[in-house]
Amino acid sequence: MSTTPMIDPILLGHNQFFGVNHLEAGAGNEKAIYFSDVARILDVVQHARSCGVHAMMMSTHERALAVADGFRRDGTLQREFGVYLLIPYVAKYIKQANEKGLVNVVTDSLGNSSITEKLGTLWQGGIGALTGDATRILTTLIDFEVGPFRDLNLKSIVLHDVLADLALGLDMPEVFATFDRHVRDKYGAIPGYGTKNLPMMAAMLKRAGVENPFIMAAINKKGFWVNPSLESCERTLREEKLRLLAMSSLAAGYLKPDEAYAYLAGLPNISSVVVGVSSRHHAEETFGAIQRHLGARTSS
Amino acid sequence: MRVAIIGIGKMGLLHAGILNALDGVELCAMSDTSKYLLGIVKNLKPIPVHDDYLKMLDREKPDAAVIATPVKLHVPMMRECAKRGIHFLVEKPLSLNAPEAEPLIHEVADKKLVTMAGYMLRYAETFRKAKQVIASGALGRIQSVQGSSYVGQLFKPGKGWRYSRAESGGGVVIGQATHLLDLMHWYFGDPVRVSATCQHLYSEDVEDAAHGQLEFAHGVSGWFDCSWSRRHHRLLEIEVRVQAENGDLMVNDDSLRLHLEQPASGHAAGWTHWKKPDLFEGVPIDVGGPQYTRQDEAFARAVLDGGSVETDLAAAWRVQKTVDAIYHSADRRGEPVTP
Repeated sequence: MSTTPMIDPILLGHNQFFGVNHLEAGAGNEKAIYFSDVARILDVVQHARSCGVHAMMMSTHERALAVADGFRRDGTLQREFGVYLLIPYVAKYIKQANEKGLVNVVTDSLGNSSITEKLGTLWQGGIGALTGDATRILTTLIDFEVGPFRDLNLKSIVLHDVLADLALGLDMPEVFATFDRHVRDKYGAIPGYGTKNLPMMAAMLKRAGVENPFIMAAINKKGFWVNPSLESCERTLREEKLRLLAMSSLAAGYLKPDEAYAYLAGLPNISSVVVGVSSRHHAEETFGAIQRHLGARTSS
Repeated sequence: MRVAIIGIGKMGLLHAGILNALDGVELCAMSDTSKYLLGIVKNLKPIPVHDDYLKMLDREKPDAAVIATPVKLHVPMMRECAKRGIHFLVEKPLSLNAPEAEPLIHEVADKKLVTMAGYMLRYAETFRKAKQVIASGALGRIQSVQGSSYVGQLFKPGKGWRYSRAESGGGVVIGQATHLLDLMHWYFGDPVRVSATCQHLYSEDVEDAAHGQLEFAHGVSGWFDCSWSRRHHRLLEIEVRVQAENGDLMVNDDSLRLHLEQPASGHAAGWTHWKKPDLFEGVPIDVGGPQYTRQDEAFARAVLDGGSVETDLAAAWRVQKTVDAIYHSADRRGEPVTP
């Protein structure tokens, strides 16, 4: 296992590339059409680099595979541009679950190619044979999702908030302990946890024995997607030892960069900000505002 | 209150995650016929799991149950819950057809059970705000309404119970557009006449798209259009539009736009645009979206305080009658049908 990488203060977000827009689905669909040409995504990555941003968030959306290929062709991007991989790409599994049911999604995914052998014995039995193997299923799914991106500069592997918050609601600390161990030991990457419930997640990770966790959660002065309340999240940031990867800092485009980042500058424990941009101008404006307000503040 | 989950699919897990985290609620057991899924849950959560839901109901004696199974099982499972005096939240749609569920309405009323169907859009910020605006009368007399429901989900024949009419009751109309139809019932009342056509694009047994006219009381006319095979719609997108004497309104998951000719009911003349961040309110835990949490909170509160919810069995049954009318009309090439 290598030394743990440093956290980048600014991450280029990826939602706009895959048609995700939390303010307006229609606009998200339009962006998805624009960015269906992967060269346009790579252009934005280069704009971000020229603004001093050296890492991005990446889901395991199928278009991300083409982006990864672009990084490989470039060489420098493959070696140097940090990738924070968000797994799994939940929308894909939900779509599959609608198509064929959850059981088939799980068994088909696990039945896929190389990992069937690894899980071999699981197919034989019922409940009894499975005892103790949920951990193995989780690590196998992580490997399955991370596999195609392993040769990039993988700095962090972040558990998607839908899955993380489900395990949080169901009160399953073992999921977090297992994820943490596996990401550190196998990939030498920083384990990250997406959530829409920052105070609860901080408490859960403490119970699971995860120290100084790297948590990705929404924080903005509008309180959009901040649960259970902005006040309670601000308190968690003041009182707990954690590193926050701030998302939805612009409240899905509702806030102007200057007011958004002036607010974040007043909060402790913000180690990093992830934000999506779509053009050179947009990159300069947004990353410039973060650097002006948080330049000295975000840290590893 | 102790709650048991029947069916560990994506909806069963979602409700389990939310309810387990709510104050005053204890997740006491889960059941599914897939021993494989039960095994995973058993590994991660020290609660009883059962492969027979009746055994679970009898042994664990929950106060309430969540029914999140294929549609054809809903009515028998609701009946078993009702027989035992167990309150229930059933995923939408209610049943294969309206007559199947009708006797249950009286049964649960007699036993004073809390029932809820999973029409969670009524708990989504924008749709809830739209209800307030429409109910305020600010729009004046409503003239016409339109509703659409699209998602890019199916572009080849699907696998599983959703695509078998005997198990699901139908395709996109009953499986997805019921969210839209429930909103239209909530906003405009029950349709008095329906005519519709259905299209099979990829599925043989169920419809993949449908279009139809809906006529409501007081001469309000409208149409709906739905498909689960619409490209470029990453997520389910539902939208309702209203034209009225004093203005118009458009609402979807992301925003609500209101235009008024004259100020009314506290709303200004001209355009008012509410975006989701304007209307957002935090929830105790968000697992799959705050609307699911608000829905489950409303259910738990009704059980704990002896109250009721709006999206109860009777409301869901009226939506079911509209669904039946849509299918009957489509079978008769769009002939008008009274639900």
